[in-house]
Amino acid sequence: MTATLTPAERPGADDAAPPTIAVTGLSVRYGGFYAIKDLTTALPGGEIVGVIGPNGAGKSTLLNAISGFTPLTEGTITLGERDLGTASTAQRVRAGLVRGFQTVRLMERESVLTNVLVGTQRLPQPDPVSQLFALPRQWRARRRDLAAAMAVLDLLGLGADAERRVDELPFASRRLVEVARVLVSEPSVILLDEPAAGLDRSGRRDLASVLVRVHRDHPSTLVVVEHDVDLVKSLCSHVIALASGALVCSGTPAEVFGDPRVQQAYFGRILDAPA
Amino acid sequence: MSAGVSDRMTAAPGQAAPARPRKSTRSVAVRTAVIVVLVAAPPLIFSGYWLFVAAQVLAFGIATLGLEILYGRTGQLSLAHASFMGVGAYTGYVLSQHGYGVPAQLGAVLVVALVTGAIVAVPTLRLSGLRLALVTLAVGELFAWLLTNTTGLTGGTQGAAVAPVVIGSLDSSVPLYAYLIALVPAALATLLAVHLGRTQLGRRMLLVRDSETAARSVGVAIARTKIIAFLLSAVFAGFAGWLYSVVAGFISPADFNLFASVYLFVAVILGGAGSVVGAWLGAAYVVFMPQLFTLMGQPNLYPLIGGAILAVVALLIPDGMVGLARRLLTRAQRRRVTATEVAA
Ligand SMILES: Nc1ncnc2c1ncn2[C@@H]1O[C@H](COP(=O)(O)OP(=O)(O)OP(=O)(O)O)[C@@H](O)[C@H]1O
Ligand SMILES: [Mg+2]
Repeated sequence: MTATLTPAERPGADDAAPPTIAVTGLSVRYGGFYAIKDLTTALPGGEIVGVIGPNGAGKSTLLNAISGFTPLTEGTITLGERDLGTASTAQRVRAGLVRGFQTVRLMERESVLTNVLVGTQRLPQPDPVSQLFALPRQWRARRRDLAAAMAVLDLLGLGADAERRVDELPFASRRLVEVARVLVSEPSVILLDEPAAGLDRSGRRDLASVLVRVHRDHPSTLVVVEHDVDLVKSLCSHVIALASGALVCSGTPAEVFGDPRVQQAYFGRILDAPA
Repeated sequence: MSAGVSDRMTAAPGQAAPARPRKSTRSVAVRTAVIVVLVAAPPLIFSGYWLFVAAQVLAFGIATLGLEILYGRTGQLSLAHASFMGVGAYTGYVLSQHGYGVPAQLGAVLVVALVTGAIVAVPTLRLSGLRLALVTLAVGELFAWLLTNTTGLTGGTQGAAVAPVVIGSLDSSVPLYAYLIALVPAALATLLAVHLGRTQLGRRMLLVRDSETAARSVGVAIARTKIIAFLLSAVFAGFAGWLYSVVAGFISPADFNLFASVYLFVAVILGGAGSVVGAWLGAAYVVFMPQLFTLMGQPNLYPLIGGAILAVVALLIPDGMVGLARRLLTRAQRRRVTATEVAA
């Protein structure tokens, strides 16, 4: 993925450093139930941030709130200087924020390549009429998109599967296709919800090294929800531990995993149910 | 991922990404040959009436491609598609009555299709599935009512004879020329539909169909994508309707009623939603089949057997004729591969 896209081709990339995401007094309520209650924390810009916590802790809800997929009941979220407030998902994407999902959402009957290419929507594309009729412009955009998509697929080890239909792939690869769709436009803020779920041990290690490499080549604020302690330790420079919709603690991996409350809330649970 | 990512990380950093695997020149040649044969066959096999029928397939094919874009790719179910054919047909007819030539007719068809398409698409934006089907069904009925109540302009239920068009030295009342005239827009529509599949717009449509959530996550404007799909499908249908009127030489409201819309829908489903080839197979089926039953002296059997065929396809081969062919092909290939492996 080295220098596939020029800075001008990457919306949101021009504002120098990847932004910090600041969450202040955030609550998200479903009916009478608080999935997140009065959460204040920061996801430092340019770092790989791990979000950990037992099932139902509110990790996905936090990603939903940041990406605009769920309305905030209370509180604010800022991206750098900018208050995200009620910004639409589309506006956030334009600002450089792209997310993946815990349950993969792909076009099952389309090719891997097509699934990744839709991720280039964020890049400057010719208007629809030009796409249909201004062929040289369209072909230039297509060449750029194909190169970016193939580069990210090769990076994830899926280059040989580019033409295969997604529903022919094993589950683990499908998750990687979604990761590729997120990464293809080189966003400055990346939110991944358990991208390593379903991967075997070596697959997880490979994914971690790919993420590290992507992060090194294209600085971003990379937020990863993850259960695997070893993976979080090796990947992340900052960790946020949640439980029952509230912050348990945050800091470096060493600080967080050394915290007795984390050991109790998090390890206790993992040890109960080895999976 | 049993092999692991790193084992397959072939491209070293800084090395240019390998180009997308290209289709072999041989398969392109085979495809081209198949298309040439299919296009050249009707004038060689048929004459007279059946050549007109073949020209009608071309007209219906364009409309089917439009619905394939709207339903097959974008997932929006419209039961007013034949009405947009009617819009095109009657726009051309009315203009020809006032002495306007082909270019003016085509320009007007484009504008009227876009305007009526927008009138239907914008208010129905929030609808999908069955509710959209019901609303578009009502639109279709309204259109049929309009036609039958503007007898002075459209000829009403009695229908209207459409004057043949003459393009260059080709007169559309001559079967062979009608076929040749229809061939050009059919080819253009096919190219456009194929090309659309390679554009970001075309991919946006697929994503809107399969997951609006995923579409939002990559910044796709869902409403805009649906409107564009609707407008494109209306324009395809409009030109198809105009072409149909010219080829058939006669139009009446019954040509563009709910049944016609359903048949277009059947064509998309039978051929295989989401496939250009499928749209053509489906169009050929819905135009030729009733003619064949009539030829056999059993026109009443068509709805019955046609319905049974549709049910079988819908239940057993969800991705239509094209999907079936693809599956058979893959199976044959796999068998061939295993055979060589055993032999080796
Ligand atoms: N749309 C919703 N409606 C109602 N309740 C919800 C909704 N989304 C999440 N919840 C609830 O909010 C709580 C937090 O959910 P969330 O998905 O954020 O947890 P999580 O930390 O991602 O858990 P997991 O590890 O299982 O993915 C859970 O109790 C869940 O049942
Ligand atoms: Mg979750």
